[in-house]
Amino acid sequence: MTIAKMDTTAMKPLPFSDPRHQEAHQFLVDETYLLDAQRYDEWLETLTDDVHYNVPVRVTTARSAGFDTSPGMAHFDEDKYSLSLRVARFATEHAWTEDPPSRLRHFITNVRTFSAHVEDELYAQSAVLLFRSRGDNREPNFLSALREDILRKEGGVLKLSRRLVIMDESVVRMQNLAIFL
Amino acid sequence: MNDLSQMLADVRRGMIPAYVYNDDEVFQLEKEHLFERSWIFVAHESEIPDPGDYVVRRVLEDSFIVARDEGGEVRVMFNMCLHRGMQICRAELGNASHFRCSYHGWSYRNDGRLVGLPFHQEAYGGEDGFSKNGQTLLPAPAMEIYNGLIFVNLDPNAQPLREFLGEFTYYLDFYISQSPEGAEVRGPQRWRVKSNWKIGAENAAGDSYHTPQTHRSVVEIGLFREPTGSKRKEGALYWCDKGGGTTYKLPPGSFRDRLRYVGYPDEMIDRIEATWSSAQKRLISDDGFMISAATLFPTLSFVHNWPKVDANTEDDKVVPFITMRVWQPISATETEVLSWFVVDKNATEEFKNASYKGYLMCFGSTGMFEQDDVENWVSITTLAGGSMAKRLLLNSRMGLRSTDKPVNEPLADFHGPGTAYVGYGEFNQRALLREWADCLERPLAEVEQVAMGAKVSKSSRSTKGGFGN
Repeated sequence: MTIAKMDTTAMKPLPFSDPRHQEAHQFLVDETYLLDAQRYDEWLETLTDDVHYNVPVRVTTARSAGFDTSPGMAHFDEDKYSLSLRVARFATEHAWTEDPPSRLRHFITNVRTFSAHVEDELYAQSAVLLFRSRGDNREPNFLSALREDILRKEGGVLKLSRRLVIMDESVVRMQNLAIFL
Repeated sequence: MNDLSQMLADVRRGMIPAYVYNDDEVFQLEKEHLFERSWIFVAHESEIPDPGDYVVRRVLEDSFIVARDEGGEVRVMFNMCLHRGMQICRAELGNASHFRCSYHGWSYRNDGRLVGLPFHQEAYGGEDGFSKNGQTLLPAPAMEIYNGLIFVNLDPNAQPLREFLGEFTYYLDFYISQSPEGAEVRGPQRWRVKSNWKIGAENAAGDSYHTPQTHRSVVEIGLFREPTGSKRKEGALYWCDKGGGTTYKLPPGSFRDRLRYVGYPDEMIDRIEATWSSAQKRLISDDGFMISAATLFPTLSFVHNWPKVDANTEDDKVVPFITMRVWQPISATETEVLSWFVVDKNATEEFKNASYKGYLMCFGSTGMFEQDDVENWVSITTLAGGSMAKRLLLNSRMGLRSTDKPVNEPLADFHGPGTAYVGYGEFNQRALLREWADCLERPLAEVEQVAMGAKVSKSSRSTKGGFGN
């Protein structure tokens, strides 16, 4: 199921000086280091058990169409089980597409957070630019996207409970998405 | 390119000059002799269910609007304004009664008819000067639909689609006709891979041999019930007219038992049983084979598989999924993959969602199978561009002895049409490339030009394909 995009037009972001914003920002930056280093077991621990991770297919439509993601089709539409299997696969010795591993860098910027009006939850928006290089002389790939997250405190620790990734390209210019955004 | 006739002769005996996977001259031949004369899948009818719905698809560099007009008829129209050649529709999908050119404002109904021509009287002298009546966007030279699959052919004199498909429809129906209402699709996911288009087409057509190695990781993580990929050698490989595919051998049981085994619920089996012919059902009930991957020449491939899609691994519950994809060539070294999820229209929402989940986990841009396939194909394509690749003939003769006698005889009691073998073999890859070789030797398609609005007598102008009056 595709997650609906957040309507933040009438919402006021938390000030950057707000401790809740700072905690969320730190969470997102820390996460990039896990993803860059492909420390996926540790990354899984930063997700709630009911996590929903969704990357819909982006499409080119007329401005008046009212939608710009594919009806019903995503690249990722994951729960914890399917994410865990993907991670387990990378841990085998036979996940050829990431062995040798890609060199990854997730650049996170434009972080805004919003009060979710639910205790222990925050909305976070961020822009992500992924640089991915494989092999010695292939052209590297970039992938740019908006992320909309719900972060939830569990046992005093912030975790990701929902992520919607809106990619900025319709046709993905990467041989596969054997990465996480 | 080396000598063409020698290259084709090598291909026909199953020795593949490696450079055919990365050669601009070969690609040019493919464009003109193969893609401009072959039936190419562009869309499934369920993508445009209502009047005005459209998707935009390409055949090589040609953009087509695939629309359902107000009368409910499917139209495939060249997406170029008749006036100055601007792309008429610049979205990928949507719903529109008309398409208006952004350059000078010529507008067309969704059946292609030219209806609006600004300043028609002042600029052209009205109907006398330029007759817009009867003018339409150029229709695809040939368009036909088989069970919801919309195909076009750039050759107006192409053989009819049904004739082209031949008895391969027997196998197509397993994927797209599990009830009288047929399938619906979601997608496509689109992504570009630095791989020659033929490699994916050959792989899906018959490469059961790669599964134990390439896809070892997905077996290791328990995504499948079957313990090892080597089970694949018990399946049958078939080639029939313009397509071929692979199958899995099923455990003993009735038709119903075996469909249950791969995860179909009884209410779907009831419809399947009422829809498929007895010959189709006997492939499963008598022969014990379940269809897996397949390719319809040149670029349409299918996959059917049955992974475990939820955490409930206590029981061995699996859910089947179907995907369909086009290997759309961009160049000798690049392919755009368009990959759809396919499911029976009448399936329950619960089944559709579980099956979709299985698709996402296994195939497509993020699929755990497909990720490793593409890594191989990109590597082959890259290396095939060098000078050493011009010296190397790759051995694609698996299943044949040096005398050309098959290692195993064809199955005598196989209920599907065509020729089938059990065990590993590159029968289908060879058949696909023989088809390819035959196409490269065909003469070029005749091209008739259409002069818009020019005063020509009816007799000298083709009305094939329905344009002009």
